[in-house]
Amino acid sequence: MEFSELIRTGRAQAKLLRGPEAPPLRGTLCVTGHHLLLSPGPQATSDLWLLLLRRVDSIEKRVSGDSGTITLRCKDLRVLQLDIEGVEATLDIARSIEALSSLESVITSFPFFYRPKGLRLGDAWHFHPPERYYKRVARETNAWRLSEVNEDFSLCPSYPRAVIVPRAVDDDALARCARFRQGGRFPVLSYHHAPSGTVLLRSSQPLTGPQKRRCAEDEELLRAALAGARPGARGFILDTRSAQAAKQARVTGGGTEAKAAYPGWKRLHRPLERGWPLQESFVRLVEACGDLEQSMDRWLSQLEACHWLAHVKEALSTACLAAQGVGREGACVLVHGAEGTDSTLLVTSLAQLILDPSSRTMAGFQELVEREWIQAGHPFQLRCAHSAFSHARPKHEAPTFLLFLDCVWQLGRQFPLSLEFGEGLLLALFEHAYASPFGTFLCSSEKERCLCEVRTRTHSLWSGLNQPKEQRKLRNPLYVPSPLAIWPSVELQTLRLWQGLFLRWIRPPEPSEVAWEKVWQIVTDKKTEGCEPTVSASEPRL
Amino acid sequence: MCETQAFFPGTGICKELEDHALLLWLTQEGAESLNRSFHVLEYCRVSSMASAPTSKYNSHSLENESIKRTSRDGVNRDLSEAVPRLPGETRITDKEVIYICPFNGPIKGRVYITNYRLYLRSLETDSALILDVPLGVISRIEKMGGATSRGENSYGLDITCKDMRNLRFALKQEGHSRRDMFEILTRYAFPLAHSLPIFAFLNEEKFNVDGWTVYNPVEEYRRQGLPNHHWRITFINKCYELCDTYPALLVVPYRASDDDLRRVATFRSRNRIPVLSWIHPENKTVIVRCSQPLVGMSGKRNKDDEKYLDVIRETNRQISKLTIYDARPNVNAVANKATGGGYESDDAYHNAELFFLDIHNIHVMRESLKKVKDIVYPNVEESHWLSSLESTHWLEHIKLVLTGAIQVADKVSSGKSSVLVHCSDGWDRTAQLTSLAMLMLDSFYRSIEGFEILVQKEWISFGHKFASRIGHGDKNHADADRSPIFLQFIDCVWQMSKQFPTAFEFNERFLITILDHLYSCRFGTFLYNCESAREKQKVTERTISLWSLINSNKDKFKNPFYTKEINRVLYPVASMRHLELWVNYYIRWNPRIKQQPNPVEQRYVELLALRDEYIQRLEELQLASSAKLSDPSTSPSGPSQMMPHVHTHF
Repeated sequence: MEFSELIRTGRAQAKLLRGPEAPPLRGTLCVTGHHLLLSPGPQATSDLWLLLLRRVDSIEKRVSGDSGTITLRCKDLRVLQLDIEGVEATLDIARSIEALSSLESVITSFPFFYRPKGLRLGDAWHFHPPERYYKRVARETNAWRLSEVNEDFSLCPSYPRAVIVPRAVDDDALARCARFRQGGRFPVLSYHHAPSGTVLLRSSQPLTGPQKRRCAEDEELLRAALAGARPGARGFILDTRSAQAAKQARVTGGGTEAKAAYPGWKRLHRPLERGWPLQESFVRLVEACGDLEQSMDRWLSQLEACHWLAHVKEALSTACLAAQGVGREGACVLVHGAEGTDSTLLVTSLAQLILDPSSRTMAGFQELVEREWIQAGHPFQLRCAHSAFSHARPKHEAPTFLLFLDCVWQLGRQFPLSLEFGEGLLLALFEHAYASPFGTFLCSSEKERCLCEVRTRTHSLWSGLNQPKEQRKLRNPLYVPSPLAIWPSVELQTLRLWQGLFLRWIRPPEPSEVAWEKVWQIVTDKKTEGCEPTVSASEPRL
Repeated sequence: MCETQAFFPGTGICKELEDHALLLWLTQEGAESLNRSFHVLEYCRVSSMASAPTSKYNSHSLENESIKRTSRDGVNRDLSEAVPRLPGETRITDKEVIYICPFNGPIKGRVYITNYRLYLRSLETDSALILDVPLGVISRIEKMGGATSRGENSYGLDITCKDMRNLRFALKQEGHSRRDMFEILTRYAFPLAHSLPIFAFLNEEKFNVDGWTVYNPVEEYRRQGLPNHHWRITFINKCYELCDTYPALLVVPYRASDDDLRRVATFRSRNRIPVLSWIHPENKTVIVRCSQPLVGMSGKRNKDDEKYLDVIRETNRQISKLTIYDARPNVNAVANKATGGGYESDDAYHNAELFFLDIHNIHVMRESLKKVKDIVYPNVEESHWLSSLESTHWLEHIKLVLTGAIQVADKVSSGKSSVLVHCSDGWDRTAQLTSLAMLMLDSFYRSIEGFEILVQKEWISFGHKFASRIGHGDKNHADADRSPIFLQFIDCVWQMSKQFPTAFEFNERFLITILDHLYSCRFGTFLYNCESAREKQKVTERTISLWSLINSNKDKFKNPFYTKEINRVLYPVASMRHLELWVNYYIRWNPRIKQQPNPVEQRYVELLALRDEYIQRLEELQLASSAKLSDPSTSPSGPSQMMPHVHTHF
């Protein structure tokens, strides 16, 4: 397929409106295979304006007289308006954008063509694989081993090649476990809590079905996990569905662990919203934020009706529960819902952030996202296909990852010194998860990424983000390493709407940016005056 | 951080994860409020209560002797020494009671009452709870239950406070045990009804700075560049004869004679004539404040008033109109005609443009805050938090006040028009609008002393009726004159400081301290309704200023990120999306919400100390002409070891 077939018109004269804060831009509009370009006239001082077409979530066109208007709603929640001369040109450009922004093929997407200066292909791709995490676990305990049973992705298509499992369970047993778990996602280690020796595990639901089937190997695996922690350790199975939903899942072959089959394990149900209701909550929130005409005195009840903050609360409190089990109760915790690729990852990754200081560093957090989201098989390609504006019929979209980022933001707000990264990194991850010139968030699993040769043919977002020039935007100048757990308050009164994201293009960004700049100044002044990096951007020792 | 250790015995109680509601509760509480040991212990207590629902504390466990002991004042040295006391504060009584904590249930404690405060210390080994409540905060004391009431802890006192909380003490039923406590509390919390002095007059604290010197009106007007050839300072009100609720010193147009002022005074409610509050340093437009004109049903006019407003308009030649902001909703302004008031009509004031700002009156604000209290104390409304918050309309009122102030500021700054602001009497909404507009326009008022001057000038000297609005020492809790107008102003300031984190020299603690002493009666600053009354009572001679306390310990109240900027106008976003409930103030009594002291600020203080240390070391090293600072091993212990975080260990 050639992009040129999809480009109806080369260029047109246009005016771009970028919201209330930025001045309008005039120039020649141009559609290329991956970008929308606006080139100001030669006399203009401003630079070329560029928009990645993948970033467009929905497009709306209007014509009147001999000109037209295109409204582009982007996946990063920005709304752009293009006033274009010529009706024909407007319609052509609109059609071109529509076609090019919704291309589904991965290997023709922009990351495969993006070759930024200063970065080499292949860099940073080996920055975070699970093998690396295993090395750390192995230093702390020898009850676990790295298994390459999934080397060819045959056991579980959504797991990476290597997973960490109890040493006592061999690869054949794992294969049988995999058949007993939906999508082959048998229980694997997510996090080893060194101070207590206990672990956080994740999996998908067991395929007990209506006959309440059992699987000896699966039971053995969980028994071994307990034994590996310490003799007599207890375990909790944190099911992210309601007890009723878990029971109902039996009809379709799923189910949940029977009490009798897993001695020492106790099941807890903490229903978390997922899928379409979560997406709907996101859509309604963005709608409410963008609706500037609505009578303002209804804002709070509208915000409440979106339920987004309630989802944040639920996610955080479930993560606290998991973290408490591991960190304070000295118990092992297995987290799963149905598929184990969404709310499961939300809970395990947040629990680690609460408990594990190293995951709160810049590199540690990137590793966490890579390990617990990307490698763990969160289907980014499906979940982030569209953002909040799309009129397309929703299929698999859900803002689970955004919910995670929001929870992290809430943590950062409550513990302003504890995260080495700032809001900038979270915003960048949100943007790149939905549309990116980098390959990191492409595809839905390691298997797909291998097939598409993502690692060798695209650049990693991490190498893009870790360039020195990006640091000031991404890092938290106030960071102080702390060995302690950070237990957030999950009361609705202490949770806030993430204005930096949801109102990013609506509010004047200036005061908060001034504040950020000021904080940097104070901190860097301190450094130069004091000749000692007291708030050093310390690279974590991995 | 050592306190956090104490948390662990508590968590041990919830061995069973089965009760994960309880577990989650503990989780949620987590770190944010563990900075004080008593909180920690409160948690532990609750968890033990939860596992053993029957309370082990019964009213009959009160000891008799201890009650008798109290009458001999000063005998129990060992006990009283543990109670903080200000110079001039005297012990009145103490008593064993059960404090019915709305969060943690009954706690046995000993309450000490002085002429300034009510102080409760827990007598239970597993609780270090301390209550320290200035009596000025009390708005109402009620007896609960009767001598024959059944049920545990049903007999005692119910105390309603002005600062968003209630206190409940249970006493034993035999022998009218609560009577003396009730009487003593009533006497000292409401001294006015008992011909007793307010504590501020007894306070003998000493500070190394005198807060009364902070505000000098002549100096402040001079700072603004006044007098100039359009505006003069007049002492016409020296003896408060022109207007008894205005300050002695006023700034008026040069072209208006003292006789003109007297005639204008007859046409303005309570003689509060238009006088200058603030002048723009560059375009010389002004903010002028006053009360409503006495138009009445018949639509009276007053040539002198019309001429006077025209004189004010003419001091600014950039625009041909004077802008009048009437803070009230249009209908209220019309309704005021029935009682003799009204607003400036178009036909009488040709050269003025009138806008209504739709801010409601003191009664609406009082009811709104009452609703806020209902949803945050003692229990926070959980299920429909945001919509219940919305139904209080508190944030909506904040929005309207801020929006009004923004309009005033914008008109003066960008519109280059002089502005006249009034409401009905010109001491509530008017004070809010002028002071907030001045805060937006003039960076001087965003410093600590500048803000003190702003409060002193626009609120205290111009007769915001603090005594009536707050009811210092007064027992009429239902007085219709009470209203949280000043609190609302401070809330608006907080909202602004949230939106402009680097623009204010002061921090949140500064604002909360001001609000605490708005009620406490420890300082004379907010006593009485107007300057003339204060002068009569010799307040500045006989009491201490709140600014003495603050200015002698300024570091505590400083915002680490303050960047001094001259001439930057701040326009906050007054949209509901950008306003939030001031949780750290309104819900601060709830241990579940209670936030740790801002760690960023603590961190900053550490950094400052560290910087000084480094500078000193650098100098030493330079002196010793040693070449390099390359030996990090001798560096002092970094702040990472003094974690301000209220974290818990693994």
